[in-house]
Amino acid sequence: MSISIILKEELEAALAIAKKDIKIYYLKAPTLMFAIIFPFAMFFAFAVGRDVPLSMLFSGLISITLLFSASSIGPSALPLERRIKAYDRLIAAPISGYTVIIGKVLSGWIFGIIIGLIILGVSLLTFKLQVFNPLSLLLGLIIGSFCFSMLGTMLAMLPRENPGDVMLLLNFIRLPLIFISGIFIRVETLPYWGQIASIFSPLTYTNDLIRLGLEGRSTFSPLLNSAILVCFSAVFLYLAKKIDAMFRE
Amino acid sequence: MYKAVEVLGLTKWYGNILAVDHLNFEIQEGEIFGFLGPNGAGKTTTIKILIGLVKPSEGTAKIFGFDIMKEARDAKKNIGIVWEESNIYPELSAWENLMFSGEIYHVGKKERQARATELLEKFGLYDRRNDKVGGFSKGMKRRIAISMALINHPRLLFLDEPTSGLDVQSSVLIREVIKEENKNGTTVFLTTHNLEEANLMCDRVAIINKGKIITIGSPENLKRTIIKAQSVVVSFGIANQQISEELTKLRAVNKVIKEGDKFRLFTEDPPSVLESVWEFAQKKRLKIISINTMGPSLEDVFLFLTGTGRGG
Repeated sequence: MSISIILKEELEAALAIAKKDIKIYYLKAPTLMFAIIFPFAMFFAFAVGRDVPLSMLFSGLISITLLFSASSIGPSALPLERRIKAYDRLIAAPISGYTVIIGKVLSGWIFGIIIGLIILGVSLLTFKLQVFNPLSLLLGLIIGSFCFSMLGTMLAMLPRENPGDVMLLLNFIRLPLIFISGIFIRVETLPYWGQIASIFSPLTYTNDLIRLGLEGRSTFSPLLNSAILVCFSAVFLYLAKKIDAMFRE
Repeated sequence: MYKAVEVLGLTKWYGNILAVDHLNFEIQEGEIFGFLGPNGAGKTTTIKILIGLVKPSEGTAKIFGFDIMKEARDAKKNIGIVWEESNIYPELSAWENLMFSGEIYHVGKKERQARATELLEKFGLYDRRNDKVGGFSKGMKRRIAISMALINHPRLLFLDEPTSGLDVQSSVLIREVIKEENKNGTTVFLTTHNLEEANLMCDRVAIINKGKIITIGSPENLKRTIIKAQSVVVSFGIANQQISEELTKLRAVNKVIKEGDKFRLFTEDPPSVLESVWEFAQKKRLKIISINTMGPSLEDVFLFLTGTGRGG
């Protein structure tokens, strides 16, 4: 069988997995709780009332909403599918393990983009924000959401059957990221250790892309931000496959 | 022609625990092969290796000539799996479940729609195709799970306890469809605790215990191997402990088991036992309500070979 046919079949299978997840998990309680309510709660707790420009506030809100929404689908879906043994069905199918992961990532990715676009649309219409760099904004939404979906799926590869277990672990990662990635405090004004830590946060680069879109300024170039996010995604994908293989030995 | 399944030296260690110990067996295309064993014998691990869920520590397993580890994609394309738990998606409709299964097995749209219609009609669920399966009964869910496994016209069908806990109607329907699929050329690998089911359906069975295959053969040949499990079943209308103890002392009787209002006397010599029982009944003025000689059942073979034998 030719490579092109195999790739086509794998892509179709990944899309089928994503479509199925969209139907099942987008409106599940853990998804809504952690993907939408949680970032808003964080935003109101830490940002509202502070003397910062609206453009920075909304860049941050969109970034953390992307982080929480895109990374929540995998941890909602995979443990539940493990519990009912539906995950075994995927692994036993004639598709690559990477295809299963990509299918899961696609559903989180699309979810993140939808939620991000809703927040962006409401922000633009309600607060008359200006878009300085639409391409950078778009890259932030697309690549950022993909990277965060990959992060969530990677952790969801841990063999847990309760979504809460994975969400708890994920929050140990997501919450600190908010404080070191220039969401509420600009990276430049962080202490030295904070600036070093921010380098290892994919949220830093997503927020930087969105900031360039809404504020017209950024720390890094959009190309560098995008390239780093792609690298993070590749590492998460590799680790996701490793984790899955390790626990299925 | 390739064999449907070819297992050579298959071994699986979980840490220090040897779950599967150098298994060797083959399944011919078109066979219904039963895989029996007590809980923890290594059945599930073997199946997980054969369907590519778990890597073996040693040995190889081939499905129609394709190595399940090295040529997993080609091997898996030939397989359909019905899991012990009906692991279908309760939030999706029956139709959506079947379509999804077809998509991940690379079945074209028209073909999977036609096959789904055929299977749902065969299982009497076509009218419920748009209902979410979460509201289905256990039997209906199992029928959906089997339909999902058959959507790609598998050459080899793995069935893990297909009728466990189901109502009689569903069980009979499922067995009929499995037999029909087998008649059309599908090889069946059946795991079941229902030994009567294995006896009725399987061309050959393998009995696995403590990770090793202890015997393999046709059900009738296996039954012949344990002559000790022949028995005479007698009913006197009453059945108490005292009679049971006295029957144990009769000539040629190895063991007596009370089964409801009957006694089952295990023996290697049924004619002598029939004679002894007749004399015993005369002496004790007991009326023989019924008396039958029985060959060993597959259950007897299983219990005998797995070390919990009751045949003596």
